[in-house]
Amino acid sequence: MFRIIKKSLKTGVVTGQYPESERPSEPINPAVTEKAKPFRRSLAIREVDTGSCNACEMEMNALLNPVYDAERFGIHIVASPRHADALVVTGPVTVNMERALKDVHRQTPDPKIVIALGDCAINCGIFKGSYAVTGPVERHIPVDVRIPGCPPRPAEILEALSELRKERP
Amino acid sequence: MTDSPSPERSIEQAIQTVFPSLIPDYPSGTALARYRTDTHQLPELVRFLHEKMRGRLALLFAVDCRPLEKKCELQYLFAFKSRQPFVLVTTELIGEERLFTSITPSIHAAQWYEREIRDLFGLIPQGHPDLRRLVRHEHWPKGTHPLQKDFSWNHVLERQQGEYRFSHIEGEGVFEVPVGPIHAGIIEPGHFRFSVAGEPIMQLEVRHFWKHRGVEKLFEQLPLIDAVLLAERVSGDTTIGHSLAYCQAVETLLHLDVPRRAKYLRSLFLELERLYNHLGDIGAMCNDTAYALAHAHCGRMKEQVMQLNDRLVGSRFLRGVMQVGGVSWDVDRSQLRNIVQELNGIQKDFSEVGAIIFANASLTDRLETTGVLTERIAWDHAVTGVVGRASGMDQDVRRDRPFAAYDELPVNVALYRYGDARARLRVRGDEIHESIRLIREIQARIPDGPIAIKPDRSASPGTWAVAAVEGWRGEILYFVSAGDDGMIHRCKVRDPSFVNWPAIQWAVLGNIIPDFPLINKSFNLSYAGNDL
Ligand code: SF4
Repeated sequence: MFRIIKKSLKTGVVTGQYPESERPSEPINPAVTEKAKPFRRSLAIREVDTGSCNACEMEMNALLNPVYDAERFGIHIVASPRHADALVVTGPVTVNMERALKDVHRQTPDPKIVIALGDCAINCGIFKGSYAVTGPVERHIPVDVRIPGCPPRPAEILEALSELRKERP
Repeated sequence: MTDSPSPERSIEQAIQTVFPSLIPDYPSGTALARYRTDTHQLPELVRFLHEKMRGRLALLFAVDCRPLEKKCELQYLFAFKSRQPFVLVTTELIGEERLFTSITPSIHAAQWYEREIRDLFGLIPQGHPDLRRLVRHEHWPKGTHPLQKDFSWNHVLERQQGEYRFSHIEGEGVFEVPVGPIHAGIIEPGHFRFSVAGEPIMQLEVRHFWKHRGVEKLFEQLPLIDAVLLAERVSGDTTIGHSLAYCQAVETLLHLDVPRRAKYLRSLFLELERLYNHLGDIGAMCNDTAYALAHAHCGRMKEQVMQLNDRLVGSRFLRGVMQVGGVSWDVDRSQLRNIVQELNGIQKDFSEVGAIIFANASLTDRLETTGVLTERIAWDHAVTGVVGRASGMDQDVRRDRPFAAYDELPVNVALYRYGDARARLRVRGDEIHESIRLIREIQARIPDGPIAIKPDRSASPGTWAVAAVEGWRGEILYFVSAGDDGMIHRCKVRDPSFVNWPAIQWAVLGNIIPDFPLINKSFNLSYAGNDL
């Protein structure tokens, strides 16, 4: 026990120890900000991977580590689309995932926000045109927010999410 | 190390004695002996290599040789003990011939490969015990085989109706639990079908390939020199592993001699990648036992390494550093000193956290005897990497077939025999220390000089090469063959996940479903790298 406390004291608080995002986030449509109003203090996110290379997932995961600690802004990841306010979709939509994506979208209660995370989700990136890829996310479900990058840094994701909710971190 | 004077000769001699009619050829650049054989002799030969010579089936794939020749080749790559060359067995199906003899009945590890070949090439493995679709899900139209040369890469698939039949266990009290493709955490999509009676798992069927993006076909649309970008995106967390293996294959094809400094830098980047992933994995395993404190500490250290990567080369995943002929970023002396300094700090930090983790009785209780993969099953499935080394399979490409700078940087291979989740945790822990030690060595030994050499010639159509890299998950294999005008003709990608996934179906038997996330994390396999 003593060892654990000592380690925690020695480590101190690491939250916020990251370089600020340099890239200005994309402007967000006012209608979307309006829709996001009820989620200002708390945003429940369901992450859906429809064919990414998994780097985008990793950066989503990084949001939860003590350095970014997205929970301090009321952002949390939920286990079911039925509990979600927002879907974060990564990757181009593969032929095999198309159905699952539509199902998840249908099961998310309204009002909901769809966030396309990463170049692949926005325009299929390097996988564009492949026989196994049906197209970007917005071909299947309406997209509200786009966060470009391959992959976007966690700081950039945070920036975009707070832009959406009009709250500075 | 073997004590026979020249082990290189011994396998070939053994083959020579039993199959006197077979004459090997030696493609330049790769430590590899290639045997051509016909479809009749093939099963006998591969069985001999596997059972008598203890060869591990490292890779099995097909090549559609059109337009050069109207035939398909099947290639079986076997790996032997440390420092012995690969043996590649090639057999061909001429013209319209579509049937070949399945080797799965005698070599279990061939199972997924042969189903994959059937899906992607339309060649049928006769005698295969399980001919269900693997890559193509049930809604793909009949007769679509994307890697056939006359299938266009941007073909738009129609949807048909179909049903995938899971294998069932019947009996009183047996029920099924389907999980996925979309899971509760932030992880990739895959489907798991458990059959349980009471608590223990009686059967698990893994159904993957939800993320199939047609990577191998996309490679064929790219020039040899430029496809590094795609290799980086096969499995994002293995950016360096994949891009390095790809570059090595192309460099062999183009007869490029990569400068020594570039080789050292490649080892440096590969070890940095191993570090951040292992740190993350240890944390994630602790998290799955609800030990949030260790998770937080490990997540913090992982983040530290990723930020270090970002400062070094402008990418947290080290993207854009690999190129054919060398690397595109230099790391100067003062940067190297900083890296080592920071990593020394992390090593101390990690040792302290490790002491806390291993002193925790409830964690040990969760990990020990959980998800045991026996050495026998690991061998049968030709399991590689961390998972293999935790089950007593003493293999590491860095030592066995040194690439990059590993010929001058001997690696101590972590090896455990229990095959449980704890052993997999320990392998990762040991490898973190070893990676940091290697990076210190790199700093001490790295020579000056250029960091890349320009490719000055092109590869003639039909030439090919194989490359192996020990990524943080395990052995990554690339087979690349050249087409016309400097394009890729075929690129076979083998992420370690592809061979390790089937093994998980055995490791979970007798465990309870609530332990599955932990077992899965202890394997931590890539879905993207598996599905391609
Ligand atoms: S955007 Fe880049 S990082 Fe994200 S899934 Fe696509 S290739 Fe991977």
